[in-house]
Amino acid sequence: MQARPMKLLRYLRDAAVFAPCYVALDWASYIDPVGPFNITPWNPQPALAIVWMMLGGLMHAPAVLATILLVDIIVRHAPGGYVIAATTAIVLASGYATIAWALKSLLSDIGLRSTRQLTIFAVVVVAGTGVVGAGFIGVLSTAGLLAGTPFSNAWLRFWVGDAVGILVTAPLLFAASDAMRRSALLSLARRPEALLQATILGATVWLIFEGFSKDPSRQFYLLFLPLIWIAVRFGMNGAILATAIVQMGVVLGVHSDVGASLPVLEIQALLVALTLTGLFLGVMVDQRQRAEEGLRQTLRLAAAGEMAGAIAHEVNQPLTAVTNYGRSAQMLLERDQPGLPQAREIIGKILSEAERAAEVIRRLRDFFRAGTTRLEEVQLPELLAAVRRMGESAIEGKGISLEIENPKSLPALFVDRLQVEVVLRNLIANAVESVLGAGRQDGRIRVSVQRQDDRHLRIVVVDNGPGVSAANRERLFEPFVSGKASGMGLGLAISRAIAEAHGGSLEAGKAGHGEFHLILPCVQRA
Amino acid sequence: MRPESLTVFIIDDDAAVRDSIALMLGLKGYRTAVFSDAEAFLAAWREDWSGCVIADVRLPGQSGVELQDALRKRAIALPFVIITAHGDVATARAAFRSQAVDFLEKPFDNAQLFAAIETAFGLEERRIQRIDGQRKDAKKLARLTAREHQVLEQAAQGLHAKEIAAALGISPRTVEVHKTRIMEKLGVRNVAELVRFSMAAMPPDSGRN
Repeated sequence: MQARPMKLLRYLRDAAVFAPCYVALDWASYIDPVGPFNITPWNPQPALAIVWMMLGGLMHAPAVLATILLVDIIVRHAPGGYVIAATTAIVLASGYATIAWALKSLLSDIGLRSTRQLTIFAVVVVAGTGVVGAGFIGVLSTAGLLAGTPFSNAWLRFWVGDAVGILVTAPLLFAASDAMRRSALLSLARRPEALLQATILGATVWLIFEGFSKDPSRQFYLLFLPLIWIAVRFGMNGAILATAIVQMGVVLGVHSDVGASLPVLEIQALLVALTLTGLFLGVMVDQRQRAEEGLRQTLRLAAAGEMAGAIAHEVNQPLTAVTNYGRSAQMLLERDQPGLPQAREIIGKILSEAERAAEVIRRLRDFFRAGTTRLEEVQLPELLAAVRRMGESAIEGKGISLEIENPKSLPALFVDRLQVEVVLRNLIANAVESVLGAGRQDGRIRVSVQRQDDRHLRIVVVDNGPGVSAANRERLFEPFVSGKASGMGLGLAISRAIAEAHGGSLEAGKAGHGEFHLILPCVQRA
Repeated sequence: MRPESLTVFIIDDDAAVRDSIALMLGLKGYRTAVFSDAEAFLAAWREDWSGCVIADVRLPGQSGVELQDALRKRAIALPFVIITAHGDVATARAAFRSQAVDFLEKPFDNAQLFAAIETAFGLEERRIQRIDGQRKDAKKLARLTAREHQVLEQAAQGLHAKEIAAALGISPRTVEVHKTRIMEKLGVRNVAELVRFSMAAMPPDSGRN
């Protein structure tokens, strides 16, 4: 019983918001008309009507019809008489409703997230406004109200005006109607780079209209440069805002033009090209970015899977030994004359294997002590000091020398400090083991840092142990390669997983001695 | 009766794992030998070894499955039991394609391991018996004269004395004499056994199975 009045109330409330906005937009965009009619080269208000009918449904069509009629009476005082005003309002409202219906059924959502969706949007809008324009101008022409203006001329003007109005405004309204996109747009508007871009864009518009004077359409191509920059940096959101700014600039330019001699139609036609370029570029940039993120996520999952396998393997080995030893002890004790000394020895082995399994778990806990990855700026001198501390305790009393190169003028790393420390500790522990394993008296370990590229540093850990054979290098990071009870294999697998989760890598060098290259992201210099 | 020489060859790069398997199998009464990788096993391999191999899939260098392939290429039919600390489907498939007796995931059930070894030994015993039989048969065949060989070939095809006589240009009576002597030398009691013997000892295409 209550539902209907509530619905009606909500309908009226929506209409009460929509109508004034529509009227205001119509009034503001009533520039450079043909005769007294709304045949102007910029019509953003249809976008409002179409988006409203797409989001709220076609039940809003009557309200749209009423508003169009109202606006003709208020802004233009129904220049063709009330019958013509009503007829054109019906043509426009049903045309916009059809466009809204077509967009809604062809687009799965209003995100315009793919080039396909954007193509559908552009084609429907351009074709739809062409048909609506033909109907609208047709009515006026039939009534003999165009007074000397050729049909094609008026139609083209209406068509370009509606098309550019919708192409520029609708994506902005789509974005504004989605809470997440809205907040993305707002945070984008606060970025210094975006502000700089907006300033440059505004200055370019000013230059085109005021600086070179005469004919702005001749210098219009200059706008493509900042637009492309913005779309490439900030994708669809950037492109939407940029085209809106250009449109505002064009409107201001036209309004300030005293002599009314500007070729507004040509400028708006150029603006269609600019808008489509910006939107398509923006969508492609967004798509690529999403694909990259997906790939990174997949890599992260793959690393996690690899790690789970590594852990299973490292725990399974001692567990297998424990089971076998246990069964052996059982068999010994079940004998008529239990082999007690041997059973005792076996139980000792069981205990040491259990300790080995526990050690795997302990190491693992060490690795993930930090919990989730927390990226922060890590200054190299601090990190290297920590490495020195770890290294010195690792080589204590073993006759190995440790050399840590302190590099100058390298940027800070942008990593999870704890995880990277664990990786470095692991690499140093490996180096110590390798040098000791080779029985060298002059063991040497050296840690150095170089710049890899703009975004990465390379940390190299070198020792003079035997290194990795070519055959083993490929499989070194598979957790099961090292059969050592120390769990070194697991360490390298997890270290690599950590490096890759940071967007870096861990590789074994090709030299005939121990050499590992850890590549990690660094802070980019502005 | 099981041949004394059947040995379980344990190949695993994890010292504790191979030591514990060897200990357990030793207490169970099996002869064992341990190797840390496939290359060490191949280097030590001798023709007269028999038994079965328990190999880990992941080994430094050649993998357990690759070792099995290498042995098959050298016509060594030693049965394999593959063990692994992570039972991924790909390795399991590879192991079964290469006809491993069993594929066990660590930590495995001891009873399963014993059962797999018994199956493998069963295969190995049958193989050894077959080889022994073939060897004895070959010795017996070697005692036949050239003429007796000819008669045996014809008889094995199911021909009667008269037909053989006609084919070889001798009298049917002589054929009968040859046949009796052949059966005596080969230790078979009737023609049916003679045919069966010749089928087993002289396969029509080649000497290999």
